[in-house]
Amino acid sequence: MFKLHILSLILYGAGIFKRPFLYAGLAVQSAYLLSRGLELHRLPLVGAHDTLAFIAASAAAFAIPFGINLNWNSKYQKGAALLAAAFTLFSMFSKQHNIPLPPVLKTLWFELHVVTAFLSYALFGIAAVLGTIYLIEKVEKNEALQYKAILIGYCLFSASMIFGGVWAYLAWGTYWLWTPKELWTSILWLFYSLYLHARLRPWWAGKPSAILGIVGFGVVMFTYLGVSLLMKSSHSF
Amino acid sequence: MGILKYITDMLFSIRTTLWSLWLLIALLFAGAFVMPAKEEFQTIHSMPLFDWLSEQNVAITWWLWASIAVLILLTLNTLFCSIQSVLKKRGVSNFLLVLSPQIIHIAFLFMLFAHLLSSYGGFKEMIVAGEGAAFQLNRDGVVLVIEGIEISSDPAGYMSDWSINIAYASGEKLIRKDIIRPNSPSLYEDFNINVKDLRAFPQKAALIQISREPGALWALAGGVLFMTGIITLVILRVKTSRE
Repeated sequence: MFKLHILSLILYGAGIFKRPFLYAGLAVQSAYLLSRGLELHRLPLVGAHDTLAFIAASAAAFAIPFGINLNWNSKYQKGAALLAAAFTLFSMFSKQHNIPLPPVLKTLWFELHVVTAFLSYALFGIAAVLGTIYLIEKVEKNEALQYKAILIGYCLFSASMIFGGVWAYLAWGTYWLWTPKELWTSILWLFYSLYLHARLRPWWAGKPSAILGIVGFGVVMFTYLGVSLLMKSSHSF
Repeated sequence: MGILKYITDMLFSIRTTLWSLWLLIALLFAGAFVMPAKEEFQTIHSMPLFDWLSEQNVAITWWLWASIAVLILLTLNTLFCSIQSVLKKRGVSNFLLVLSPQIIHIAFLFMLFAHLLSSYGGFKEMIVAGEGAAFQLNRDGVVLVIEGIEISSDPAGYMSDWSINIAYASGEKLIRKDIIRPNSPSLYEDFNINVKDLRAFPQKAALIQISREPGALWALAGGVLFMTGIITLVILRVKTSRE
């Protein structure tokens, strides 16, 4: 089964040069995630290995509609395939979480919380790729698409925070905990709120907001990996 | 007069929003490093936030106080800008596009209000209890009785499920029975009774948490409103960009 994961990495790598390989990588990685789910009898969304693979597949999937919109600009295709390959590579070096879930994680609220969070991370990644291409090519359409990716990502991320709050209230009697993860989640949410508001100001339009969208993905990565690996919280790996 | 105009101009400006957001991000960024480094933060969940803050040294809580100040400014700014936006654009053709961000703003204010309520009037208490234990829940003499603790494990020894049978009683009179399960607390009046931890050996025992979050309903209402506003905005933005 792990061979599927390795194959998806190879395909994403080849997808940097030829688009059909990106599609093939997505298909193979989806099959890998499906097989993990069937093996574990649950959504494979616990621990760094599965979540990174899920983000990679989501990034590849979200890359398609934006790619079609851009007539598969070659720089965009390279960036999107590289993003999916990087997440897959990190996933391969992360430990699998194969033990049964504790009872508190067996709830739809948890599933909604993590699925929406990781879908939003993938969209923020695609937005960073679009922003980078805008800075290189200076084509306004790229920046407009970056905004669209961030707006949908922000919607999903907000949903994740709300689902997480409902779940926390039912599981632990409170919808908010003062932990580094919650603080970084708030920083991330405020950062993209800042992006969405800043874009309304003429000074921020174009290059500055594109840069803000790229920096936002750095905050995403620290919130997801940095905090989970370095700081103790309910979200630690 | 000059100062009043300066203040109102500032509250109506999106520049204030941007500066407030930058400042808030910087303060929370600082807090994210101060919090894990200081032992005092271990007790932050043991009492309402404002009670906790009043007991702590400002040297470690400055970023929280400053964040509260920025949030007050952001609240006023949000109110002023939302009202101004709706009044200015009343007659526009796609009014829903004007309204949906304001719904998001109101939802944000609902959530802040929820945090304010919980920070003032929240309550939390932990009790370790075995089967048969009873303790008083409120001043009216209502008693919570732990009638039974069930813990199931899978063949590998991992806990797979649990449930706790409880009863609320007043004197000799049984008020009602309930079962606490994972993600299914018992709600009595405004108390949330849930289980933080369980132990099967040497005797079955549970760490019971009794809490009260006065802001919970406001937060939920804010969440529903927020999602309504943002989904509407996303649909309209995608639709208008296609036209």
